[in-house]
This record gives sequence, C-alpha cells and structure tokens, in this order.
Amino acid sequence: MNARPGGSATAAPGTRSRPSRRPVRIVTVVASCLALLAAAVMVGVRALGQEPTVTLLANWTGEDEDNFRKAVVEPFERKYRIHVDYQGSNAESQVLGADVEAGTPPDVVVLTGPGELAEYARQKHLLPLEDLVDQAHFGPSWAMPLADGHVYWFPLKADLKSIVWYPAGVGEQERQQAAHRPAAWCVGMGSGATSGWPGTDWIEDILLQRYGPGVYEQWARGALPWRSKQVRTAWTTWRDLVGAGGDPDLVRRALKTPYEAASRPVTASPRGCTLEHQASFIRGRQHAWKDADGRYDPSARLLLGAPANRAWEVSGDLVALLHATPAARKLIRYLASADAQRAWSAQQSGFSVHTGVPPAGGTDPDWRRSLALTLRDRRAVHCFDASDAMPPAVRDAFAEAAIEFLAHPGHLDDLLHSLDTLGRTPGLTWLPSVCDRAP
Amino acid sequence: MTNGRGTTPGTGSATGAQPAAPPSPRPARARPADRRALGGAPRRLARPWVRLPGTGPRPADGGSTTAHDLTVRHRLLLALSALLALSLFVSYQGVHGDANPLRTSSAPAVLSLDTALYALGQAERDAGAPAPTSDFQKQISVAAQSLSAAAADDDVGGPAGRQALQTIAGLITVYAVKVQKSQLQPDGSLLREAYRSYATSILTEKGTGIQDRLKALQRQQRAAVHRQTSFGPLLWLAWSITLLLALALCAALLETQLFLRRRFRRRYNRRLLAALALSAAGVATAVVFTVWTQRGMADTRQLLDSPLPGRLIPVAGRDTASYLAHTGFRASAAVWILIGGVLLMALAETGLRRHIDDYRFRPR
Repeated sequence: MNARPGGSATAAPGTRSRPSRRPVRIVTVVASCLALLAAAVMVGVRALGQEPTVTLLANWTGEDEDNFRKAVVEPFERKYRIHVDYQGSNAESQVLGADVEAGTPPDVVVLTGPGELAEYARQKHLLPLEDLVDQAHFGPSWAMPLADGHVYWFPLKADLKSIVWYPAGVGEQERQQAAHRPAAWCVGMGSGATSGWPGTDWIEDILLQRYGPGVYEQWARGALPWRSKQVRTAWTTWRDLVGAGGDPDLVRRALKTPYEAASRPVTASPRGCTLEHQASFIRGRQHAWKDADGRYDPSARLLLGAPANRAWEVSGDLVALLHATPAARKLIRYLASADAQRAWSAQQSGFSVHTGVPPAGGTDPDWRRSLALTLRDRRAVHCFDASDAMPPAVRDAFAEAAIEFLAHPGHLDDLLHSLDTLGRTPGLTWLPSVCDRAP
Repeated sequence: MTNGRGTTPGTGSATGAQPAAPPSPRPARARPADRRALGGAPRRLARPWVRLPGTGPRPADGGSTTAHDLTVRHRLLLALSALLALSLFVSYQGVHGDANPLRTSSAPAVLSLDTALYALGQAERDAGAPAPTSDFQKQISVAAQSLSAAAADDDVGGPAGRQALQTIAGLITVYAVKVQKSQLQPDGSLLREAYRSYATSILTEKGTGIQDRLKALQRQQRAAVHRQTSFGPLLWLAWSITLLLALALCAALLETQLFLRRRFRRRYNRRLLAALALSAAGVATAVVFTVWTQRGMADTRQLLDSPLPGRLIPVAGRDTASYLAHTGFRASAAVWILIGGVLLMALAETGLRRHIDDYRFRPR
C-alpha cells in the first residue's frame, strides 16, 4: 500500500522520501540530546567528584600526627566530604612565615605561640572567629580577645608544664636527692628547627614558681628586663640544677639529645637519669615513660624545694583561620566542637579545655585524671608558656640563648643584654596578659 | 506494501510483484534486473542492518532491493565512519593526552626532586667543613632552585604537593641557618656539635626530615609518571575496538564498491575508494604515532625508575627530552582525527548520494 493517496505513479519526485527522513531526524536529534546530556552528566560528575579541600598546617608529626589524623581529620573528612591537606612540621613557624610572605598561606593553622598569632593578627593575616566559635566553651584566658576586641584563636589541646616526671617506685626522698644531681635530670634540647625550647620551659617555670605569676606576667609582657635580678636568678638556678658548663659529657648529652628521646635512659639499667622537667604530652609520646609507669610531681617541690606550686605554666595548640573558605569555616567549627576535642583528648596526646568535654574519662589513670583536673581547676592560676607568648623574634632568640647558656653559662650577661636589646625593638607585638587570673 | 519510509522506487505498487522501471533521470545507469534482490553475501551482509533507523522493511521477494540496499549501506558507512572517528580519537587521546603533562611536568619534577636530594646530600657533606664554604651555599641554592622548578609545575601533587614543597623550602632555609651557626662555632666545641646535630636531624629525621619529605613527593611523582605512561587494559580495549571498527569500515567500503559494480555500470566509485584510502592511511598513521609516543613514554619511565647518581641527572634530563621530542606535535594531531572523520563521512555520503537520489524519483 502506498503511503500517499493517488498511488505511486503520481507521486511527485522527492515527496516520498520526506516521510522516510523523519525518523532519521528524530534519531539524530535524540542522539544529539543524549550526547549533550552525557557530556553534561560527565562534567557534572567530575565537578561533584572534586572534593573541596582545606589546607591545615600544624606542628604534630610522627605518632601525634597519626593520632590527629585518625581521631580528628578522618571523621571530619567522612562527615563533610571535605579533604584536609595536612602538613606537619616542627619548623612550622618558619614554614608559615614563608607561606605568608609568598602569599600562599594555609587555610587553617595550629600554632603553639599566641605571641606569633597576635603578630599575624596585627598584620591582618588572621580572621576573627567570634561567629564560628563560642568563647564561653574555652574561657577568656584560652580564647583571648586582642586589643581590637576580636578573638583570633582557640585551643585544640592544652598541656601542663609545671611538672617533673619520675618513674613509679622512686620515693619522695630519692627524688629530692636526685633533684640536686645534674646527672639525674633527663634533658634534651634538640627539636630540629626549634631546638632550645625545653631550656626556655625550665627558666620560665623556675621564675614562675620562685616569684609568682605577677613577676612572670610582667616579664612575658616585655615589662620586666631580662637583666633583672629575678630573671637572672632563674637562669642561674637552671644552671645549677642541670650542671650547665659542667661535665662536658653531660652537657653534650643535653645539647644533642632530641627532647623526645631525653627520657630513654630512665629505662636503662642502671638507670641513666631519673627526673624530667617536661610537659604533660611527653607521657603519652615517649615510650620510656610508659614503660617506667611515669608519675609526676608539681615542679616547685623538686626545683625549689617549695611545698606547692604557686601557679601552673601551661601551653596550648591554638587554632587560627587565615582563609575563610566555606570548607575552612566548617573545619574551624568542627575543631571547636566538643566532639572533636573529646576525640583528640581521648588519644592522650593532650587535654581539652572545652567546657563540654569531661576533664577525664572513667578509664583514665590517676596521673592523667589529676593533670586534667589541674588544668581545669578554677582556683588555680594558669599562665601561658611565656616564650610562646612573646613575639616570635624574642622567642627564637630566647631558645638560642638557652642552648648557648647550657654550654657557656659565663656568657649570661651578654645573652641577657642581647635579649633586652631585642625586646626593646619597636613594632613587636606583646600580649596584654598571659595568666588567667590577675595576680 | 507500505511505505511511508524507505519505499524503493520499484516497489511502490501494492503487489510489488513487478519491478518498476528505475526512476530515472538517467535510466541507463541501472536495469530492472539489477535491482532485484540478490542472494548470497551482500544480502546477508545487509540483513543485520535491515532495521537500521529509517531503512524501513525489506521489500518482498521479487521486488527491487537496490534502493533499500543502498540506504542500508549508506547508513552503515556513515555510522561506521562516525564510530571509527570517535573511537580513534578516544584511543589516541588516551595515549597522547598524557604525553604533554609527562614532558612538561611529571618527568621534570622527578628530576628536579632528584637534583634537590643530590644537592642536599652534597651540602650535608660540605657542612662538615671547618669554616663556611661557598660549596655549601651553592648546593643549598641548587636545592632551592630545583624545588622552585618543581613547584612551578602545576601538576606536582596539586595543592597538597605545593604545600609540601613550601614546607620543604622552609626547612631547607632552617637547615642552612643551623649549619652556618655550627660553622661559626670553634672547631671541636660543644655548640658546634649541637648545631650540627640539629641541622642533621632537620635533614634526615625519619618521616619528617627534608630528605624523607622529598622522597615521599618523589614517590608521588613517580606514581604519576607510571599512570601517565601505562598502556592499561582500557587502552588495549579502546585500541582493539578501534582496529575492529577500522577493519569493519574498510570491509564495508569494499563490499559497497563491489555492490555498486554489480548493480551499476560504474566500475569504481572514486569517493568510496578515497574514503577507503583515507581511513586506512589515517588509522595507520595514528597507530605509528602512538607506537612512537608510547615507546618514548616507556623509555622515560624506565629512565626515571632507576636510581640516578647526581652527575647523571643532567644527562637524564637530556635523554628524557629526546625520548619525548615531537610528542607535542603528535598529540596536537588528535584534532585531525575528528576532521578526518568528518571528511570520511562526507566522502561516504557523496559517494552514495547520487545513486540514492536516483531512486528517489518515480516516473510520472
């Protein structure tokens, strides 16, 4: 049967082919649409497949870095589908400085030094966090507003520094005797780019325990000269305790040993050293203290023979925001949450001071529970690590001076003079306060 | 029989028993007998495509099938040409698309990181000198410049890679400062030893030292080189499909040529022969280009996989450049595959169009 009335013989040339072309056109159009759709889907899938990324710079390496990734970063990545590019380095300050100067800083940074952060805030590199973080969760001493009224950081973890570790089973009297023998102290000044900071902790804590938080804060704010009697006494007390400039083998060991390895002789037989003046994080980080079932004393007892500490030196790893991308803002909110703080604290790499996180878990050992409670004790005075609170240039010079003093204590006058000169340099940013209660 | 679509001129009657005269602007070109359905191979060849969109049903036995067969072949040739062009383009790009990033980014980055590692090793050796030396400074400069060169490549591990390079650059600065401090101390002094040990730990510390960070980046870059140079199962599949399509197209062109010779007086259809030559030459050229490029990429991978002593790094750079020479030109030839595909389809179209048009007209 013909398609058109009139029969095939009368069909005009070409007209019969028109109906036969229609399906071709339909197929062509449908195929084109499908191709366009496929291309759009592919582009869409590729665009969706590219996870947003946030860059994070911190100083945790090794086991701490692994713990941080597992406990904090990976849950965040799973929950928000945001990739975190983590860089950990003990030369964090230098790396961050270079990144900022090059105009390519990370989105989020975790620094130990509020002094350094205050410097970046003054240079307008940091962004305020009031709309992302509830300050009430941390207290004013941890999330401190600067002179411009903005809060630029909050603590991700905190540690207690005014303590001395010793192996379980070493009695009170033995510890007191050991404190007067330089060889009994486990000292390690090595820390790569930041070598020397363990020495600064000694001097700060001696000053705090001997003269109290008032003098300590004056000094940390740049108001008390380095050549003052109090500061000088702190240096010489440290010299006597660790034998600076004394037995070359002992000094060499102290200078060259990395701080993480300082306590290794504790488990040697016979025991190579007994006491270590070091922050609370060393208990979880150093296997020697795990093996020796390390316990702690408040530092004033062993450093100065005082019955109790006058205040507690503390340190914190502080989170700050440099790029307010949506991913970075989510990461900041997450790191400030009780969940993230609890997860990190549970790794025993440090303690959370978030009010929504219980100070200690039910299975925590006594020493850990006690440290956590001391950090949260509202009646106690907590003062931030003075060198971390100082401007970075002064902090670094302080660490270098500690190294040199350990080898050459006779250079003390020159070292203190240099530090005073440096501290008077115009344009340095000093924090308004470093202790949580006005002395 | 029906036919709103694809009805052949000779089968327009309801019975279809008698073949009609050919449509004819040029009736001499085909005879009625020629247009009857043929048995044998051509018929069998056409059968699977009888239901190609727009071809319509095959005429009843005894009716002329020429127009129908022409339509089937016409669409088959167009479809095969399009598929071949697309498949060849995808297969070609699968190999050549990686040649440029390998030549301009991944391979130089591996060599830059090798250079930085070597220079830092030399610097550590020079750091033991009793006084600051220009050799130490030179090696530090070489390491820093190598990192800058690696960072200049867009592809060094993305943002994470760039961040890692910046971290390493910062560490190199700190390392140099510690070495200089040690060299400023009296020979044999405790402080000299101490600063030297700090510098060494910055360079060699396990996992976080400069050397381990550089090696980690280098592993990433080597993995990228492996990805770019591997000829994996997907590429094998793509090229197998491409070659099968090329064979199918050549066979279809030859068969159509024979079909036209049998049905029409023309001995050769020049356009179809040109299409045959074009497809054969195009695929052969693409295969040769691909073999050359793939061989160069494989040689590059082999070179980069082997440990390179420092003094051989510049030689390796020259070798890599020679292995990957002209890959950019060959990669840019991909666009000619698409142009060739269009040309192929145009030749197939014009080669058969006038025969098809002959059957679009019916005698009044």
